[in-house]
Amino acid sequence: MNPSLKFLLAVLIALEISFTSVWTVNLALALMGLVIILFSRPKLKRLVLLFFVPLIPAIALAVAILLQSNAGMHFALVLFTRIYAYVFVGSAATLTTSISDLVMSLEQNAHVPSKFAYGFLGAFNLLPKIVSEVNIIRAAGNMRGQALHFWSPQLYFKAILASLDWSENLAEAITSHGFSEGAPRTYFKQIRVRWWDWLILFGSLAALQFVLFGLHLQ
Amino acid sequence: MMKYSNAWHLRDIILLTLIAIFFGVIYWVVGPVYNILTVALTPVGLGPAANDILMGVWVMAGPLAGYLFKKIGSATLGEFLGAVVEMFLGGQWGASTMISGVVQGIASELGFAFTGYKRYDWFSLNLSVLTTTIVTFGWDMIRNGYAQYHVGLLIALFVIRLVSTWIFAGVLVKAIVKLLDRTHLMETRTR
Repeated sequence: MNPSLKFLLAVLIALEISFTSVWTVNLALALMGLVIILFSRPKLKRLVLLFFVPLIPAIALAVAILLQSNAGMHFALVLFTRIYAYVFVGSAATLTTSISDLVMSLEQNAHVPSKFAYGFLGAFNLLPKIVSEVNIIRAAGNMRGQALHFWSPQLYFKAILASLDWSENLAEAITSHGFSEGAPRTYFKQIRVRWWDWLILFGSLAALQFVLFGLHLQ
Repeated sequence: MMKYSNAWHLRDIILLTLIAIFFGVIYWVVGPVYNILTVALTPVGLGPAANDILMGVWVMAGPLAGYLFKKIGSATLGEFLGAVVEMFLGGQWGASTMISGVVQGIASELGFAFTGYKRYDWFSLNLSVLTTTIVTFGWDMIRNGYAQYHVGLLIALFVIRLVSTWIFAGVLVKAIVKLLDRTHLMETRTR
């Protein structure tokens, strides 16, 4: 499916189930998400994490409803299944799409200005470097007997300094490769929106409206 | 009053995205703290309070971006990109992270918008803290079912969130900006 439309669909589903309270629909969405996730053949560790990580907030919210409100079991179940629907629908989109495909689709199909598309892409490619930079900053702090926690301004300050440096270099590198802001571009890899992309988008949304409002499930 | 340019250039976009990713990674580091707090508070039914205690951490990127770039939309974009990164790293809220990112971004943007994007000082930062707390709390009343809680708990959660947001998105952001101002690095870039 077209990446832009896929993410649009995931967000619209998440938005709609935030405002509705039908736990069976949440469960069904989570299961459909799971099927798509399984087709993408994730690593076992990732799959196990996907099941356990949402468990903590899901249980917390459900228990809080049972103990701290009069809403009862049904609403607790709604919140519990809602979290799993969020995570599995979201992962069904993220695990089947690469960042570069998403960015290219946003540029070509959603008409995001190309300076944003390439800016995002360039920065996202530095993700592994950023993870190691955070570790380096913390290690450097530790060596000087200065523990940097997430509440230390120094940690963020140093991260921003590194970002300033890299953004300058990266922007120059992109410009050196012949990129100019606002100039018309041709695309090496064309990403199209096909008729079945629209069909999946509107078909899924129509089906969701039907089961949410047409079937009177509770 | 300095006049700030509202145009986005390639290096601004890259810088904003890099900062957002840094925050996304730092949020990811904070994840375990959230889990431990939630597990500890769940038996008494106060698990969601962990969300409010740490709220300030999740919403820092917005006001910081707004304050650094001084452009319309920078707070929203910074917060949203941070959320997208968190989702791709495998955050706990899945697809709803993107919605939360937009909600939090607009929430902190409102603080700057109310001053007409003219004031970038302690006042506008505090205004941003207030709008962030109110708007994100409204979203949690819907998404996480806060609306069902007893009034006492609801007020307590709101106060906790306000204090958390003030400490992280207010005091801490101010401290970071102060450090940056002393380097004079941002001045040549944003004006």
